[in-house]
Amino acid sequence: MADSTVKKYYDGLAQGKLLGKKCNKCGGVTFPPTTACNECGSYEQDWTELSGRGRLLFLSHGIAPPPNPRFNDLAPYGYGHVKLEEGVYVQAIITGVDISPDALRKHFEAGPSPVIPDILDVEGLPVLAFKAG
Amino acid sequence: MAKSPCTHGQAPCFDQNYHLDRGDVEGSAGLTRRVRGVAQKENAVSKRWKEPAHILGVGCTRFGNLLETPELAGLGLQELAAMAAKEALADAGMGPQDVDAVFVGNVTMQTSQMPATYSQLANWLGTRFKAGVHFDAACSTTNVGATMAAMGVASGAYDRVLVVGLESTQSQPDGLSPYARTTIPTEEMWLWTDQCVNKAYSVPQGYDIFPTYNAFVAQGYCRKYGVSLEDLDRGLFELCRTRRLHGAMNPKAIRQQTLEDEAKAMGFDDPWAFWTSRYNPHVAWPSRLYSVVTPADGASAMVIGRGDEAVAGASAPVELKGFGVSVMDLPWYDDDPTVMPIDKESFSKAYTMAGIQPGDIDYLHTHDCSHIMSICSAEASGFLPEGQGLAYAREGRLRFDGDRPMSTHGGRHAFGHAWAASAGSDTYEAVKQIRGQAGPRQMPKAPKTAVIHTHGYAMISTVLVLQGGN
Repeated sequence: MADSTVKKYYDGLAQGKLLGKKCNKCGGVTFPPTTACNECGSYEQDWTELSGRGRLLFLSHGIAPPPNPRFNDLAPYGYGHVKLEEGVYVQAIITGVDISPDALRKHFEAGPSPVIPDILDVEGLPVLAFKAG
Repeated sequence: MAKSPCTHGQAPCFDQNYHLDRGDVEGSAGLTRRVRGVAQKENAVSKRWKEPAHILGVGCTRFGNLLETPELAGLGLQELAAMAAKEALADAGMGPQDVDAVFVGNVTMQTSQMPATYSQLANWLGTRFKAGVHFDAACSTTNVGATMAAMGVASGAYDRVLVVGLESTQSQPDGLSPYARTTIPTEEMWLWTDQCVNKAYSVPQGYDIFPTYNAFVAQGYCRKYGVSLEDLDRGLFELCRTRRLHGAMNPKAIRQQTLEDEAKAMGFDDPWAFWTSRYNPHVAWPSRLYSVVTPADGASAMVIGRGDEAVAGASAPVELKGFGVSVMDLPWYDDDPTVMPIDKESFSKAYTMAGIQPGDIDYLHTHDCSHIMSICSAEASGFLPEGQGLAYAREGRLRFDGDRPMSTHGGRHAFGHAWAASAGSDTYEAVKQIRGQAGPRQMPKAPKTAVIHTHGYAMISTVLVLQGGN
């Protein structure tokens, strides 16, 4: 059986690892991993593990009920725009935050804050979320 | 990142690639630099048409709900598509057998349950024996179809091509019934739609369009330009009022009630009090429900041809001068959610091909599933100055009778959004404005140059430049 990039990513998450790809040509990091470098389009990449440390640039929330029924029990959830220290951007569920308008306004006024991964098990699927780090 | 407009030349220049090629600007960290190599390659093929291509006719149904809206209730998608095609062909002064090919767009197959859509529709459109294909560029579908049709015409392969977009976002076939339809729960419709975005990692990981395409953009706009959250809310309120005014003057819009009248009907004398009430909740703070898309059912169509034939009874052709298309999946932006590199690309390509500058634009539509994103795109287009879009909205300058008229059909919120059909509805409006056929919402001076921008989910940034002869 051939290796599935997507399955390897989720298997990595289940073990607490953020797996991406690093380009052999330009050095660019692609996360989550695909078959081509996000920077230059090259297919010549190797697996790499990201630190998971990042900064939460913007924080809001999603709708409820959510589009994906897997998240029915979590919605409405905090959702954020995160820049990882490797320079890639990811949008993900943010845990442990108050998503009332007043709290979100305070968060916005305070500006970006450090986050670390908080990998959730949601009905059997590992999900990359982040929490205050 | 190159600011728009730059100051290097005599006229404002929006060709970011020019500056990147020269090395006199750098992309900011991240995406702009990242797309640089690709942009240069793509720009090499962004040239002029070998032969001119024109929009000869346009058609559009009312946007509404196949289960409720009087003009649509009870119809099937086949009849909806035929309704739009019939209008476009009549507008072009021809019949269905006068076209050489038909390009049919539809996105959510779950609601049509009509794979091989074109061959199924040929008997309904009257286009048996004609070449055709079903295609999908999400919410840019019909305008991407226009570019493909124009390529067919400009190459000499076809004389005339019919482009049709059809979509239901409100209902799906009831079981295996040939005609009965049933409502789709909102979240299920969004699930099917969100599957247009990175299938492997987005929906499975809790992706949600409302923060991604609305809230982060709004927060980014405030942070970048020092706009207060109160001014953001007030600006989006005024933008909604403008779009609803346009919808109230458009018999094809899904929402034909002004915001003020809706507020009164709900017991609010002050529309601002209605705006900030529980009837207009935050879908994703600070973005409210009435600053986002109104999903709809609908169809649109256009006939593309050379435009060099005199056809009795036909409306005036409108030239498709140029186009730009640029595509990427998430993430659509880096530190600055107000800037999508693909928009810079698509505007630049389209302007270069059409030989225009932003100052030439008389009428603009930018994709407005998210009102704040539409302002950012309008600023990226050069039609509005950076950081000033909401102020322009507050001053009424974006109205049909303002000095920066935009989305006079009502846009995605008031006209409604039927995914594959909507870009065609935007082009329909631009063509009507150029010809002076827009009725009560006609711009006082009919535009000569119109630019139509759409975001196909996600994300297919598509720009058309249209020019009329007046």
